[in-house]
Amino acid sequence: MDSLDIDQRPAKKRRFFVEDSPEPERTVFSTASPHNDALSTANTTLHEKLLEPNSSQTDLSIHDGKDGMDVDASKNFEKETFESFVGDKVAPATFDKLREVSGDNMERAINMYLDGSWANVPAPPAPRPSSSSIMNVSNSGLPERTCQQHRTEERRLSDIMDTGSTLDRIPDYRYVGAFGVGAWATRSGTGLIKMGEAIKIERTKIKAPVKIGRGGKATQTNAARMRGDVIVRFTNSRGEEVGRLPKETANWVSTLMDQKVCRFDGVCFLAPERVRVNDTIELQLRCSLLRRAFEVGGFQKPEDNRTTGFFEEKETSDEKNLRLRQVAMVKLFDEVNLHPTTVNDTTARHKRQGILQAAEIAEQYDKEKESKNPKFSKDPKSTQDGSSTPPEDEEEEGKELEQDQLDSLYKKAQSFDFDTPIREPSDTFAMDLRKYQKQALHWMVSKEKDEKSDDKEVSMHPLWEEYTWPTKDMDDKNVPSVTNQSSFYVNPYSGELSLDFPVQEQHCLGGILADEMGLGKTIEMLSLMHSFIGTSDISTQASQPGPSSVANLPRLPKNSSAVAPAPSTTLVVAPMSLLAQWESEAVKASKPGTFKAMVYYGSEKAANLQNLCCEANAASAPNLIITSYGVVLSEFNQVAARGGDRGSHGGLFSLDFFRVILDEAHFIKNRQSKTAKACYELNAQHRWVLTGTPIVNRLEDLFSLVRFLRVEPWSNFSFWKTFITVPFESKDFLRALDVVQTVLEPLVMRRTKDMKTPDGEALVPLPPRTIEIEELELSKQEREVYDYIFTRAKRTFNATMEAGTLLKSYTTIFAQILRLRQSCCHPVLTRNKAIAAEEEEAAAASDVANGLADDMDLQELIERFTSDSDSGEQDITNKFGAHVLQEIQSQANNECPICAEEPMIEPAVTGCWHSACKKCLLDYIEHQKEKHALPLCFNCREPINQRDIFEVIHHDNDDEDDLYSATQPGQASTPPRITLRRIGSSSSAKIAALISHLKALRVNNPGTKSVVFSQFTSFLDLISPALTQANIPFLRFDGAMSQKARAAVLLEFAASQTKKNGHGTVLLLSLRAGGVGLNLTAAKRVFMMDPWWSFAVEAQAIDRVHRMGQESEVKVVRFVIGGSIEGRMLKIQERKKFIASSLGMMSEEEKKMQRIEDIKDLLS
Amino acid sequence: MAALPKRIIKETERLMAEPVPGISAVPHEDNLRYFDVKIHGPSQSPYEAGIFKLELFLPDDYPMTPPKIRFLTKIYHPNIDKLGRICLDVLKSNWSPALQIRTILLSIQALLGAPNPDDPLANDVAQRWKEDEPAAIQTAREWTRQYAKA
Repeated sequence: MDSLDIDQRPAKKRRFFVEDSPEPERTVFSTASPHNDALSTANTTLHEKLLEPNSSQTDLSIHDGKDGMDVDASKNFEKETFESFVGDKVAPATFDKLREVSGDNMERAINMYLDGSWANVPAPPAPRPSSSSIMNVSNSGLPERTCQQHRTEERRLSDIMDTGSTLDRIPDYRYVGAFGVGAWATRSGTGLIKMGEAIKIERTKIKAPVKIGRGGKATQTNAARMRGDVIVRFTNSRGEEVGRLPKETANWVSTLMDQKVCRFDGVCFLAPERVRVNDTIELQLRCSLLRRAFEVGGFQKPEDNRTTGFFEEKETSDEKNLRLRQVAMVKLFDEVNLHPTTVNDTTARHKRQGILQAAEIAEQYDKEKESKNPKFSKDPKSTQDGSSTPPEDEEEEGKELEQDQLDSLYKKAQSFDFDTPIREPSDTFAMDLRKYQKQALHWMVSKEKDEKSDDKEVSMHPLWEEYTWPTKDMDDKNVPSVTNQSSFYVNPYSGELSLDFPVQEQHCLGGILADEMGLGKTIEMLSLMHSFIGTSDISTQASQPGPSSVANLPRLPKNSSAVAPAPSTTLVVAPMSLLAQWESEAVKASKPGTFKAMVYYGSEKAANLQNLCCEANAASAPNLIITSYGVVLSEFNQVAARGGDRGSHGGLFSLDFFRVILDEAHFIKNRQSKTAKACYELNAQHRWVLTGTPIVNRLEDLFSLVRFLRVEPWSNFSFWKTFITVPFESKDFLRALDVVQTVLEPLVMRRTKDMKTPDGEALVPLPPRTIEIEELELSKQEREVYDYIFTRAKRTFNATMEAGTLLKSYTTIFAQILRLRQSCCHPVLTRNKAIAAEEEEAAAASDVANGLADDMDLQELIERFTSDSDSGEQDITNKFGAHVLQEIQSQANNECPICAEEPMIEPAVTGCWHSACKKCLLDYIEHQKEKHALPLCFNCREPINQRDIFEVIHHDNDDEDDLYSATQPGQASTPPRITLRRIGSSSSAKIAALISHLKALRVNNPGTKSVVFSQFTSFLDLISPALTQANIPFLRFDGAMSQKARAAVLLEFAASQTKKNGHGTVLLLSLRAGGVGLNLTAAKRVFMMDPWWSFAVEAQAIDRVHRMGQESEVKVVRFVIGGSIEGRMLKIQERKKFIASSLGMMSEEEKKMQRIEDIKDLLS
Repeated sequence: MAALPKRIIKETERLMAEPVPGISAVPHEDNLRYFDVKIHGPSQSPYEAGIFKLELFLPDDYPMTPPKIRFLTKIYHPNIDKLGRICLDVLKSNWSPALQIRTILLSIQALLGAPNPDDPLANDVAQRWKEDEPAAIQTAREWTRQYAKA
């Protein structure tokens, strides 16, 4: 024995390491046989019994997938038994063949043997039988390859044993690979186990006295027990326990055995003659996947839309099992060195890592973060690309994306093919579509019909991996192959196994239309509504009426109460400000009488939507219902309050719409917001979201959209988390973004304005746009206010910096920065009530006495600023005779005595009626004040009262509201009427600049309409009177206005005619209310009164004007006060980091830290 | 040097185009704010027949501040000191931006015709003027002959 042992050792060792090697088949028979014979002599009667011309010992090592069969008590398929049934001696080859074709089913084998059908089993396999079937798969793309379908195929006998055999269906278990393990003995003794001896692997369900398992919570659930007991024993061929597998191996082997995924058996190939406890015994384990693991129902698929994630407080035992299985399977494939042959494109590389990582995180959670050391990623093999991931930091959910990450994210979704087919809209559609819009229509219709594009290959489900069944076993013997089953598929995320090709299914009939703003998403959608109309044959999944469950609040139970189908109605949910626009576009886009659109305000209870839109009423049902997010939310709450009784509510939730569209869908980017949850519950056959920014700044933003669209499996947050959030948060950006791209790709259509067709033409030829930053100087008084606030803000900042309470006083400082920005616009703004209140609070918190004094100082400054204007505008024409005015008029036409301009620029007069340019006059007064001299008239040396300086206002003769000239038409010689207006210094540098721009515009481009944006509505309040003074017509649009009023304003602005005085209408908008969605192409000039933290927001506002439909060049002027906080804001705008963080909420500590640096810059 | 304000250009042009009788002001080529000025002594004054040279400089904030003017020619006058500095209200507190080079030079010419010893700059001259006006006038004539020859 000893000598034999030594002789055998090298060969065995080599065998151990060379699995599936392509080297020519060795004659294992000859080497194995003597050895086995020698073994058998020493073996028990069991062995003797099995000895046949070809000993069943050789079976063990030769017929992979069948080995160990004879010792498997449950599958008692033995040759003798068989022969005793058949009453006939059977050749071993025939016997083996029979076993294979019968799938180890004794009864079947006997029947087949007797009726001779076993001989018809498919032809002798090619040396690599798998290759042809692989070709078959990729060519046909047929996912259906279940074994059952091939049962009836012609069967032919193959008697070529040593090249393997072919089965027509999967056996009960099938060999996937082998691996070596150093187990340890639990017993002592001589001759316990020998080299080459077959061993059995057992899971003895004894109560483990020691909890060596992972986690090991002392709960009494099944899962907990299972966790505690991972001991895997092995026995010798006599069934005597010899030892255990080492813990690392046992951990996952036990899982696979317990969950009936795998079976293991093995051979001992190195054991000491005399075994002592704790000795190492080298085993080679063969693993076979059980057939039932592939069978449907073998595993519970994790429930869809399950909301519990790995971070939930309680991990259910199901989830625990799933997690254990995931890990075990990944380990298994690593150990047997079986690599996926096909994985879904981009997701491939990092999959396993992700699973281990996610499991690991769950585990860490289990251990209540006892250890941060990632246990699993220590295994270098588990990370295929060789880079192990760093330990998890405890990060907050939903990290933000950097701009360049966003860019790369969109790159793939944006790789728009300009040759995609187009589709003409139906006749009832009244507008002309551009080519790319027709392409979008085609895409959308095919998404709704769920047509697979012909030119695209069926792609594998991204979560699945394809593995090829090994064709040779560890001894380089061929293993029987199964017809048309050369591969199997593993979903490492759910732990599912499949023999069928998992197709990437798109359950969702819809998608994300993410064309950049201005490309006409609304029009594209309207064309879809016209061109793909619901027909009655679409199976409406009318939900069964049933008792509603009150316990499920607030989530609406889907089947609670009759939800009626609305087979011809599309629901559009849009922000309030866009409702009117949708409606008017819908009317414009439709031939008269072909399309019914209605705006649904919810509160107007006149209509029961269910009655209006239900199938019975299909003929007169509206084609389009437009509503706002607010209405959706409030109806959701109403329905929830009724215990989820959708049907009787009669509102939006009582219908199953043909299509639902969320416009500006980033409204629901927070999946936890009530609005988002309400939108998820809207029922519709087809679901779409429109947004220019599918991801605003977090990957989770996209999740909410996917959740709304019900895209499986991504709408499952734990999938999402495993795949995207976890890698992203562990700084594995590339991987997370890769995956996101694969999610996005089939769902998203996105074109950008700067895309060029292959001919180099712009997608949408838009006229040029120029943006100019105009730096303004503050007046002296404005500067005083600014400097005052600045000094104080800086003092506060420095004080808190020193005290280290920066985060605490963050709001205070931020409020002061806000005031600084306001004082750049107009000092009066800083007296804004809300701000003042905020400041008072802050002052109280810090230093009451100081704060009070400060406030008084500021008050004084502001009063100085406003005192000159409190008498306000005063038309003093009546006070003085026409003579005086005429004199003034003639003076004004002369040259300015101070600067010699002729005529004067903005002439002004003193109280003693001497004229000069307004600026010269004010400058001179300022000059004298600086010298602490009493301001005197430059002309007569009369003392000047600064309040008695008047602007000379020319009233144009053709002024509409000038009754005087209107009654005397044609008198061109009439001297221009002038009035005097007291100069109020209530104007600010920015307002003055705006007015002079608008005046210049009137002269150079009469009738040009302009849009003025400010983020402070209170600033708009101050601009309005200035425009009135200057006789410039204007309209106003802000968030405080009702929906109807907004619509009226937009309509009026678009339709407004140029005033006779040449002034085009000016629209004052608040940046927030007017920044999204609106169409303001009637204007050609944009004035941005104040910079926002992120230029993207300003750009979006500018794009309201510079968008499709704009026919002229757009000029944008951004006013910025020189040498102020605004200038520094512009610099910060350029820094990407800040852009991202400023878009979010301001509450989180982390972001505050991030911004402190920026504040330092601002106050430096 | 910053661009010359429109006002200075206009004034210069007008001084050239419509010169005031008895007064000339010519800007330096290399510094248009610097003028060489000549004023003829008013007739029936001690300075008659004399031609007085002055220098005139327009400061940066002209016309907010008055021009700076100084006699280069030695002159015996109670309101003009040895260094040529002139005591004249419109050059100081009574300056107004509505005044111009032309008007200022006319004022100086007028000052020559009507010395005001009650508001002296050159104290010794003013003293003499008050105590012995004929002698003072005589000295002024002599100085004019001696220093302000045509």
